Amino acid sequence: MKYVVVLLLAWFLAAAQVSALPYLKVLGVTPDLMLIMAACWAVLRPQDEAMIVVPIAGLMHDLATGDPLGASALAFAPLVILAASVRIRAVETQFIAALVVVSAGTLTWGAVRMIVLSISGQEVQWFQATVRVVLPLAAVNTLFMPLFYMPISWFSAGQRQGIMGSRRITSPL
Amino acid sequence: MKLVWWLATVFGISAFSIFLSNAGATDPVQNLTLTVNSPLQGALRDIASPIHDAFLGITDRGGLRHENEQLKDEVEQLRNQLASQQDAQQRVLDLEAALGLKQSRPEDKLLAADVIAEEPSGLKRSIAINRGLNDGLDEGMIVLSRSGSVVGTVSHVYKDFAWIRLLTDVDSAINAQVNIATVPPANTNVITPGAPGPQASATPAPSAAPAEPQTVRAVAKGDQRDGLLLDLLPSDAPIVAGDLVVTSGLGGNFPRGLLLGSIHNVDERPQAPFKSAIIDPAATLTGLDTVLVLVSFKPARLTGP
Repeated sequence: MKYVVVLLLAWFLAAAQVSALPYLKVLGVTPDLMLIMAACWAVLRPQDEAMIVVPIAGLMHDLATGDPLGASALAFAPLVILAASVRIRAVETQFIAALVVVSAGTLTWGAVRMIVLSISGQEVQWFQATVRVVLPLAAVNTLFMPLFYMPISWFSAGQRQGIMGSRRITSPL
Repeated sequence: MKLVWWLATVFGISAFSIFLSNAGATDPVQNLTLTVNSPLQGALRDIASPIHDAFLGITDRGGLRHENEQLKDEVEQLRNQLASQQDAQQRVLDLEAALGLKQSRPEDKLLAADVIAEEPSGLKRSIAINRGLNDGLDEGMIVLSRSGSVVGTVSHVYKDFAWIRLLTDVDSAINAQVNIATVPPANTNVITPGAPGPQASATPAPSAAPAEPQTVRAVAKGDQRDGLLLDLLPSDAPIVAGDLVVTSGLGGNFPRGLLLGSIHNVDERPQAPFKSAIIDPAATLTGLDTVLVLVSFKPARLTGP
């Protein structure tokens, strides 16, 4: 059931990403909600789930943007590895970990996308694209991260409460 | 270990899918997705566009008022130009008919299309429209704004939809020319050469000398930093801000005389063989809702052997 919800959410985000979101420019770039959602899911939810959700997000992203199918799945894949490496197990909150994964994940996304474009025979202005697109996007995505972190965090906390009982105190972060 | 296997699997499947996509094998799937998504995308654009306009109106009210005044002046000037050009156009048509000349662009057939999506990443600059192979579109066809200036070219076409590469995309390169009307200054004195200094005879220049149009050819390229760059301009070309840039027709991929934009800023480097200039595109390339596809003009890459 949760994967159906993820699929619908990813479909809606992909449609919004190419239709409404281009009107929203911060630092000259449009926040990538799909990447933020995938990164937050990878940090806050079990790794087995992230291994399914992240490729689904990438696939929906490519279907909406007209990119070669698989390019975004490939570019989003490092999110799962980043999430596994920075997850702080000793504390309840994963807010800092999510910030790190979103910002670093955007940088790796940019690098992978530029490599794929280059291999596909398209011109890439590496320096300008990094300075004018990838770095601002890392900052903007990090800024928009709480939009997805909070709901996914509450959803995860709710599930844990269901399993472990309501007397457990959980942080909203 | 599980993570490594997962990563290898994702890498393998993705690489294979990218290969299939580049070969066009996944076009039906992407066409189907756009068919399913387009109503939702259209509704979301309809919601976002007025909100964006309202936000701009609040944040940039002073700028808008100033721009409005400028535009009113410009409209008045353009109306005057249009009135004189309509007469000239009619005379050209009459002469072409009298001489039996083939017109370079007899009748432009344009197909209107709605913009349904916009590439959001910023690494590429492209839009999707709701016209495709079924409507007679082909890769390389020219896309214009509602007022007739160049927006881009069809880069990928599906059955019912197409992606348009905007002219500011880094992969876009268009043969262009700048038409400069050089008018001799009206009140300058021409010094007769060879005459000694104090007795030099000064002859007033004719005050109503006709303009001598000069054409400078260059390449308009998309640029990540500057948007649209006019490159390979001869270093001695007398280009100034405000000069109009149009397609030159060289290469056969664009008809001659389509408006690209106007010169914003010229970048001159001493001792360099060429100079470049930043172009302000004539068409507004963000928030486009309708575009026109020039279906009557077949680019050379489509008609060539």
